[in-house]
Amino acid sequence: MTIRECYAALGGDYDEVLGRLRSERLVQKFVLKFPQDGSYELLLTSLAAGNKEEAFRAAHTIKGMCQNLGFTALAATSSVLTEALRGGDLAGGEALLPPVKADYERTVAAIAAFKESAGL
Amino acid sequence: MAKESILIVDDSEMNRSILTDMLIDEFDVTEAEDGEAALTILKEKGRKFSLVLLDIVMPKKDGFDVLAEMNRVHLIEEVPVIMVSAERASAQIERAYELGATDFIMRPFDASIVHRRVLNTILLYAKQKKLLGIIEDQIYEKEENSRLMVDILSHIVEFRNGESGLHIQHVRVITEYLLRQLVKKTDRYPLTEEEISVIAMASALHDIGKIGIDDKILNKPGKLTAEEFAVMKTHSMIGAKMLENLSVHAEHPIVRTAYEICRWHHERYDGRGYPDGLKGDDIPISAQIVALADVYDALTSERVYKPPIPYEEAMRMILSGQCGAFNPLLLECLSDEFVRIRDMLVRDTNEKAARHEIHNFAEAVLHSKGRSASERTLKLLDYERMKFNFYAELTEEIQFEYIVEGDILRLSPWGAKKFGVETEVFHPAENETLCAVLGKDWFASFSEFFRKTTPGAPDFHIECEVPIGGERRWYKLIVRSFWSDDIPPRLVNAIGKLVDVHDMHTMVNELKELSIRDPLTGLMNRTGVQEGIERKIGTFPAHKYAFAVLDIDFFKSANDEYGHLFGDRVLSEMAERLIHSTRAGDLCARIGGDEFLIVFEYNTDIQPIIARVFKALCGKVDDFELTVSMGVVEMTDASESYRDLFRKADIALYVSKRSGRAQYTFFDPAMASDPSLTSMVADRFEGEEGEEHHDKK
Repeated sequence: MTIRECYAALGGDYDEVLGRLRSERLVQKFVLKFPQDGSYELLLTSLAAGNKEEAFRAAHTIKGMCQNLGFTALAATSSVLTEALRGGDLAGGEALLPPVKADYERTVAAIAAFKESAGL
Repeated sequence: MAKESILIVDDSEMNRSILTDMLIDEFDVTEAEDGEAALTILKEKGRKFSLVLLDIVMPKKDGFDVLAEMNRVHLIEEVPVIMVSAERASAQIERAYELGATDFIMRPFDASIVHRRVLNTILLYAKQKKLLGIIEDQIYEKEENSRLMVDILSHIVEFRNGESGLHIQHVRVITEYLLRQLVKKTDRYPLTEEEISVIAMASALHDIGKIGIDDKILNKPGKLTAEEFAVMKTHSMIGAKMLENLSVHAEHPIVRTAYEICRWHHERYDGRGYPDGLKGDDIPISAQIVALADVYDALTSERVYKPPIPYEEAMRMILSGQCGAFNPLLLECLSDEFVRIRDMLVRDTNEKAARHEIHNFAEAVLHSKGRSASERTLKLLDYERMKFNFYAELTEEIQFEYIVEGDILRLSPWGAKKFGVETEVFHPAENETLCAVLGKDWFASFSEFFRKTTPGAPDFHIECEVPIGGERRWYKLIVRSFWSDDIPPRLVNAIGKLVDVHDMHTMVNELKELSIRDPLTGLMNRTGVQEGIERKIGTFPAHKYAFAVLDIDFFKSANDEYGHLFGDRVLSEMAERLIHSTRAGDLCARIGGDEFLIVFEYNTDIQPIIARVFKALCGKVDDFELTVSMGVVEMTDASESYRDLFRKADIALYVSKRSGRAQYTFFDPAMASDPSLTSMVADRFEGEEGEEHHDKK
């Protein structure tokens, strides 16, 4: 699996990110880092605990990373979630979580597959 | 040069490392994972950073908190902040700008934009700092003159008064501290920076009237009698009169202010002072403040009649009204500034105080609204820029600026249009449009020109053919380079222009062409053929060449008999025959009136070639039987000069003529040692220069 195929699998725009970061090496480096970021876990736990601010920040961070990495699909769903949480709408946030979850898992799965096929 | 330091503040490790990766090559990068960590780092070494990249949404302390704190400690004025955020809400952006952020970079990051913004911001701040320095220097210089005059005058007074030499200096600085505090505290006395500066300076003259007081009274160690005190009191009016009589300078702000201070610095706020008994704010604020500063310094200094009083005690005495009646607002100012004033008095130095005042002034000017030196300077810069752009748009020159750091090429509008790119091109070497227009390796040739410049000789110009859009035209390239002060110096940027000189160049070439041709026959003239031969032999020295010099026989009589027009026709006919009988690689020239030169390039044997050409040249022109005499020499050595060869061919020609004309002769080394030949030829050579002119008519 190439990095481009990985992007196709996770619903991202490889050409766009390469245009911005200008190096395949950098893109790959950051893509591989993405699953290690704790924001997603933080989002889940703070939503469960009803911590509005923490949940907003976590969603906001995920959205920011996805924008930077060109993960178009997850950036879109996490952005909707971020806006709901910014207004402090915890119930709305819970409702918007499933699509984020689906996109996150799809993204992480694609990265794992890429990592394995690249032998990294 | 040390790398500039940048602080990156973002709670997402990934976002930080993306930014770090983009900047690490050129900057010293420090990372902070939230606002709190950032503030700790900034507190410790804030001014070390040339720039802060700041996220907004972060745990603990967010970006706005960081900005607010940077405002509180005035760090924001020295260290620029660029916000990096996905926030697009204009309220947030507005708030960040209000808190002093310089710029915004939106997520997702684009490497070149991040790079560029960071660089621009750092450059801009560096320029502003430099500007601040320039303004300080200018003010310092300007004030230095007035200050010198004031200092001389006031020291004369001090000397006579037997006061410590520092009294004048102290009053000046205390006055300034009080004024600044006053302006900060209330709008009642709207003083500009300039007025504050003038009052502080004029304060030095407050006791100038003491010049007119008798030494004995002035320096009396004990208490003054009522009579003596009455005399002493006149010093304020004497000083005022002195200044009033300075007819030429009486209207100068310093003189007018000094007048107020001299006359009224012994008035009391309650109206019981002298000489005029003014009350409250009828006393000019300048005089009120100097009065307070004077009393405070007098109390805390040693005098012939008293020991120094400790700072705190002097303060208490004044506040309790033991030393006169003062404006309560000023007393508040004195309390506010007590620590600073005390510290200054303790460690006072002349130069430091002067510089300090200037710095305050320059800074205030730079940040104040309304008329100010910095604004004027910036306006002027702006105007220069507009002017430059205006001219750049008018002229059909391609003007450019290449900034090495950042790898940016800026083009004038015309240039950008010509090349089909934006006026700013990043990484121009890789720009596809430029490569398409100028050729793939254009940047390599371009930078080669820069390498030919040095800090000592920064200018370079060359005329070269530039292929723009496939069309090769001649351009004049003029470049000036700018270098850093480092050792060794680095190329910082280069400006220049590319002027289309194609038409001029073509014209010059045509003129040059004309200058080497004989107008009558169209053959080369002597200059042309000499250049041609030298170039030919220089390029292919191993080839075989032969020189043939020839005369038209009896040309003079043809001229005489049939007229000049016919003579010209014979010459033209001769030229035709020469061109037709020789090959393209041979050179033919008319080198004198009826004298021609052929340079043959051949492979095997010259003999048959000469025989053929000789035959082709002879033949009737109308009734005139045209024949030629010819001398030929083969070149044996590439180092032989044109003149030598010509001379040998000429000797051979002379032999042909002497043997009855209408024939050709090959040069033989034996001829060179025949004095009857060589002397003839030498003469001919000498005479020839003149003869050529003669023939042109």
